[in-house]
Amino acid sequence: MAITVQRTAEDVSAPTASATRVSPLQPPRARRQNRLTRAWSRTPGRLALIMAGLLALVAVLAGVTVTTANTKTDATWELAERHEPTAADVQRLYRALSEADATAASTFLAAQNASLELRKRYEDDIALAGQTIGLAAVDRGTDPRVAREIDTISRQLPVYAGLVEAARANNLQGLPIGAAYLREASHVMRTQILPAAERLYTIQADRVAEERADAVRFPYLAAGLLLVTLIALVATQVYLWRHFGRRLNLGMVVATAALIVGLLWSSVALTLHATSAADARPDRVTALGQARIVALQARANELLTLVARGNGAQYEEQFDELADELVGKDGKSGLLAKARQDAEGDVAAALANTAGATRSWLEGYREVRKLDNGGRHGEAVERAINEGAAGASAPAFAQLDAGLERALQASREQFVDDIVTAARSLTLLTPGWAVLSVVAAGGIAYGLRERLREYR
Amino acid sequence: MMRSRFLGLLSALLAVATVLAGCGGDVAPRSLVKPRPADRPMPAGVHLDPEVPEAESGSDCGDPTASLAPRGLTIPPGSTMEKIRKRGRLIAGVDQNTYLFGFRNPTTGELEGFDIDIVREIAEKLLGDRNKVQFKALPTGKRMDALKDGSVDLVAYTMTVTCDRRKEAEFSSVYFESGQRILVPKGSDYTEVSDLGNKPVCVPAGSTSLVNLAKMSPPPDLVAVDDLADCLLLLQQRQVEAVSTDDSVLAGMARQDPSVHVVGEPFSKEPYAIGIPKKNTDMVRYVNAVLEEIRKDSWDDIYHRWLEPALGPATPPAAKYK
Repeated sequence: MAITVQRTAEDVSAPTASATRVSPLQPPRARRQNRLTRAWSRTPGRLALIMAGLLALVAVLAGVTVTTANTKTDATWELAERHEPTAADVQRLYRALSEADATAASTFLAAQNASLELRKRYEDDIALAGQTIGLAAVDRGTDPRVAREIDTISRQLPVYAGLVEAARANNLQGLPIGAAYLREASHVMRTQILPAAERLYTIQADRVAEERADAVRFPYLAAGLLLVTLIALVATQVYLWRHFGRRLNLGMVVATAALIVGLLWSSVALTLHATSAADARPDRVTALGQARIVALQARANELLTLVARGNGAQYEEQFDELADELVGKDGKSGLLAKARQDAEGDVAAALANTAGATRSWLEGYREVRKLDNGGRHGEAVERAINEGAAGASAPAFAQLDAGLERALQASREQFVDDIVTAARSLTLLTPGWAVLSVVAAGGIAYGLRERLREYR
Repeated sequence: MMRSRFLGLLSALLAVATVLAGCGGDVAPRSLVKPRPADRPMPAGVHLDPEVPEAESGSDCGDPTASLAPRGLTIPPGSTMEKIRKRGRLIAGVDQNTYLFGFRNPTTGELEGFDIDIVREIAEKLLGDRNKVQFKALPTGKRMDALKDGSVDLVAYTMTVTCDRRKEAEFSSVYFESGQRILVPKGSDYTEVSDLGNKPVCVPAGSTSLVNLAKMSPPPDLVAVDDLADCLLLLQQRQVEAVSTDDSVLAGMARQDPSVHVVGEPFSKEPYAIGIPKKNTDMVRYVNAVLEEIRKDSWDDIYHRWLEPALGPATPPAAKYK
């Protein structure tokens, strides 16, 4: 940028003797350089160069600001309209698969008087899983990790469903081999499908966090360019004032004002944007989703202890581990307590009675184990799967799950709300910068042409 | 004239280019999906290279099947039987996972099977009601513990009587004679255990069945499972060629799947007896008296109901007393 106040005293139209002679023998590049140097040494030439420089600067600035504003707006909307829903869908997939595992065990235990509702819940979960995989597969081209997890889920899910139906068919005929099929199905679910779904969810959740961080990143390039352009404009005006003695050049003032308006507008808009985006906490949605899945997996273990009929030590161990993760060893920490701590508004309301529900569920589980270990299998099953049995583990779990579902929904709403607010604060910033840049360029052209005309 | 010649030339060039493009590169039809064979599912707790447990310590107690001689069905005051009568129910440790011996009927949720019927016969004689039994479903590994801590009156649980076990509990006379055999798909060429060298065979982990097969030469490729039911599942999925363990258990598997059957001669002796806490010798004599009655009256019925379809006709094993 050679437009700063680097002027020589004798430049007012004085043809300098020292000006390099142009020899026709000189190479073209040197000739062009000479022409520029010669133009700079005379006022009209200098004015023309300054104008060209400023216009070029504004053109670049226009390009950068419009692109930046556009990218930011798009990225923010994308966050609310694509990334968050994708992560939420994958989370729901994970949940549906965990629920299918638990529900399959429930219907199996209830055998002939299996409620139609439970059977439907299992089928809906499997259908939803199939649908989601199909949709998530659209995304697979962009990320080989996504492709790998989808591959695992889509290959193993039909195997799982087949084993569950084999279990059901055997069970209906009164053949104990049905239980072996159900345990094998659950094993496929737990060792292959659920881990893949979890990894898939981690990928998507990380993406949401990355995109959000990207969206609120400070636009250094645009800000730097804006600053440089403003300095150049002011310097030009100082130059014009010193050489032509006029205080104000309307065109230049308009150009400067346009850029200052842009600066103020962007500052306010980006501050609002960053504040709203900072309020949106994808980690809270993730934490709630995690709590719900851990609860569902523990529930599946509770039911599998009953399917295993006395050989369920491994399921009891897993239940204890998952319960610890959910409520901590002291019963007061863990994922649920953390979620309650962070909760605000509707989320807090939805989580209000989950502590009580969790406590009665865990008590109900211990009662189920006691009944089963005491040889009262039938009663244990009844307490574990009948959601109408007051004070038993089944209704308590249903209450906990419903509370977590509402909290998750409310938490998503808060997140999307904040992101949409952030996106709205950037409304019109893109066309705004386009218009302001045109105004600035017009002002510069108008202001400097006025001065140039004086030399005609 | 010029124009048409030019066009002719152009179309000739195009034709040549098309042909060249067509045969130049060997572009085969592509597929974006690379097919891979299915991954066979496996139950949890399958050991493909199982540890072979030490054989029984071989402590010598003479004939482990020799029990205490019965002294009739009278119940003297202060006896174990009188205590049970006062309590009003018999507490029996049983299996709930072995089809045909002790299992829970998935339809009714009730325990049923050969062992269960034997227990009900004892309750009938002792308490006058075959339903006055509190069944305690025990995991296999907890059978001896229940006898040692006296939390059950007796254990009827496909339990082979051995000298080692006799050190910790008393046993009734033998009520069923089992032996290790093989279960194979109908139409397969296997007829004896010796046909199974180097073939995948499912056995219960840590069992004497496993030890017996590991001693063969060449030994089969042993696949050990923690839960016996998984053996039938692996056979149904044809991940193993055969299952080998006590024929009583194999019978239960054969009854669940008409496409498999029990073949070959028994190559081990597994005499089943009812376990009773060591101090209750009066109970042992009483149970032996009941078993005498059962051998005369109902053994054939019970055997017929549960085992005959899979194992063929049999007679009750004779009781041996010290």
